[in-house]
Amino acid sequence: MVDYEVMVGNKACAVACKLARVNVAAAFPITPQTSITEYLSELYASGEMPGFEFVNCEGELPAQVIVNNAALVGARAFTCTAGPGLQYMHHPMASTAGGRCPLVMAVVHRGIKSMQPDHSDLMSQQWTGWIHLYVENAQEILDTIIMGYKIGEDARVRLPVAVGYDGYVLSYTAEPVEIPPQEMVDKFLPPYKPPRSLIYDDPEASIGRGGGFRSGDPNYAWMMHNEGALNAEEVIKEVFAEWAKLTGRKYGTGMVEEYKTEGADVVITAMGTVAGSAAAAIDKLWKDGKKVGLVKIRSFLPFPRADFQRIAKNVQAIGVFDRSLQPGMGGPSYREIKNTLYDSNVHPVVAGFVGGLSGKEVTVKNFVDLGEKTLEYAKAKKADAHPIWV
Amino acid sequence: MIEIRLHGRGGQGAVTASRIIAAAAFEDGLYSQAIPMYGTERRGAPLTAYVRIDNVRVRERELVHTPDYSICFDEFISMNQTIANSMKPGGIVLANSKFKPEELPLAGDIKIACVDATGIAIKHLGRPITNTAILGAFCKLCPEVSLKGVEKAIYKYFPGRVGDMNVAAARASYEQVTDLITAKNKEPPKQVEEIVSGGYGALKDVSGWRVFEPVIDEEKCIGCKTCWIYCPEAALEWTANNKPAMISRACKGCGVCANECPVKAIEMVRVQVKK
Repeated sequence: MVDYEVMVGNKACAVACKLARVNVAAAFPITPQTSITEYLSELYASGEMPGFEFVNCEGELPAQVIVNNAALVGARAFTCTAGPGLQYMHHPMASTAGGRCPLVMAVVHRGIKSMQPDHSDLMSQQWTGWIHLYVENAQEILDTIIMGYKIGEDARVRLPVAVGYDGYVLSYTAEPVEIPPQEMVDKFLPPYKPPRSLIYDDPEASIGRGGGFRSGDPNYAWMMHNEGALNAEEVIKEVFAEWAKLTGRKYGTGMVEEYKTEGADVVITAMGTVAGSAAAAIDKLWKDGKKVGLVKIRSFLPFPRADFQRIAKNVQAIGVFDRSLQPGMGGPSYREIKNTLYDSNVHPVVAGFVGGLSGKEVTVKNFVDLGEKTLEYAKAKKADAHPIWV
Repeated sequence: MIEIRLHGRGGQGAVTASRIIAAAAFEDGLYSQAIPMYGTERRGAPLTAYVRIDNVRVRERELVHTPDYSICFDEFISMNQTIANSMKPGGIVLANSKFKPEELPLAGDIKIACVDATGIAIKHLGRPITNTAILGAFCKLCPEVSLKGVEKAIYKYFPGRVGDMNVAAARASYEQVTDLITAKNKEPPKQVEEIVSGGYGALKDVSGWRVFEPVIDEEKCIGCKTCWIYCPEAALEWTANNKPAMISRACKGCGVCANECPVKAIEMVRVQVKK
């Protein structure tokens, strides 16, 4: 039976772990992630999760090592962290991905320079080779954690998945969440059966469990890792389509979710919770006769290249909003979109907006302005220099 | 869409109240969203929380900037114009106050109602946690949220006996809330005294955080300095005649001194809010 409950984002995350029948969770509490560990502890203590071990670690680094090894021996593993905790976890994260250990980690965004949220924490982990998904609301957290296991455990991918969502404004915000029945989730997500060897069963590839090489071609492990990361796109699309069929909740293609892009002159992009406010702004803009669509980027890694090459064909400008900034290099999704369009034969104006850093509030009004500015850039066929501050 | 702003202090349950309203609205068949806003949260520090109620799923995720309703959980903050600022025209302010609504110094295109939530909370819960003691009154003012829904939601957060006590508090406030009046003064004052949200320490004033304050009986006091040692805020000074005295701006009214006094020479007395 489908159940509903008004719950905060962090609880939705813990409930998803229960539904996914997670075997091992290891974490160190850090605001704004702490209440996930509290809910998991409660679930452990109440005995509602048979076969579940919860490890209260002495820090994030050991937490990542524990889930890494748990996944390696065939457990379905979960961890969660935020901001500086994620940075402390950086070192073993690379070997989780390199060792091809599929697990899911919730990253409750907290800026790397402040307590308040921006995407700089997860963005700073791009090189560890995980799959990075960004979500907007509590329902999407629950759905995406469950789907994350199916994506990561797929033989074509075999990679850990990070699900990022904003601290405070989502982690502590209560809203109605539909809890899918356990039987349905069990059917969707069968128990994890690790391959005989998690590392490709190839005698040529004598790869260490962290993804390093022991003999043979040192590039080999990286080639395989890269292949898995690229395969993730088709797997994400398949898994999201299957979930949509089961639950009726459709998140676009899984890679991107479009809102009122049909017939739009320009589109704006957003990731994570701010996409909700952006959608409200889009409604206002259309009411005023301004044809602005929204593309919510759900997967940052792999980046939705094909989707943006398709979308670019129908619009005059793309206003990209980034909630993180690499000083001197710019916003990450702005750079990726420009990079993607270089390979296509259509080149709309791409404007790169940056805002919401260190928890600065991003309002509906901000996105209305952003949409109007993008329309102006489309008319002028030229955008201001990146970054355009919001 | 209905937007609600809640003003309170850490420990009064404003964040829980926002979640109870959201859950109650959902029980009544509406979509809802409750966003708390805190910095370094701690007991006594002023905070705000926000609720949205709509008949479609709420997508925007900014704070509420122009509320339809403003609810204040604290007697002192109820005297501050901040709670009535930036409301939608004709917005409703529900204040925790023993006074009549026309006696509150609030101005603007607003309507005001009062309920003595601190009194109700002390009577029904035995402590000044005013959240459920104001939600009943809110149901009376907001047709979208029913008392039945709030009661159901309260039991979700506080099952059993604690739930019974809180439901009793909610029912009492539903009965006791005053009628709505329109604010006499349409123009809010230009300068509004800010609610002190800063921390403690030598220069900060936390006198507004107290619901109860220590009153020292110098006759009973034996001058043992136990209270002075245990005070977490160094809010007691030692006088020339070997007795403690409260430093008003530093005392948060936690009651540790009264609890530790070996001869029970300190009594916690409810602070009277002045007009």
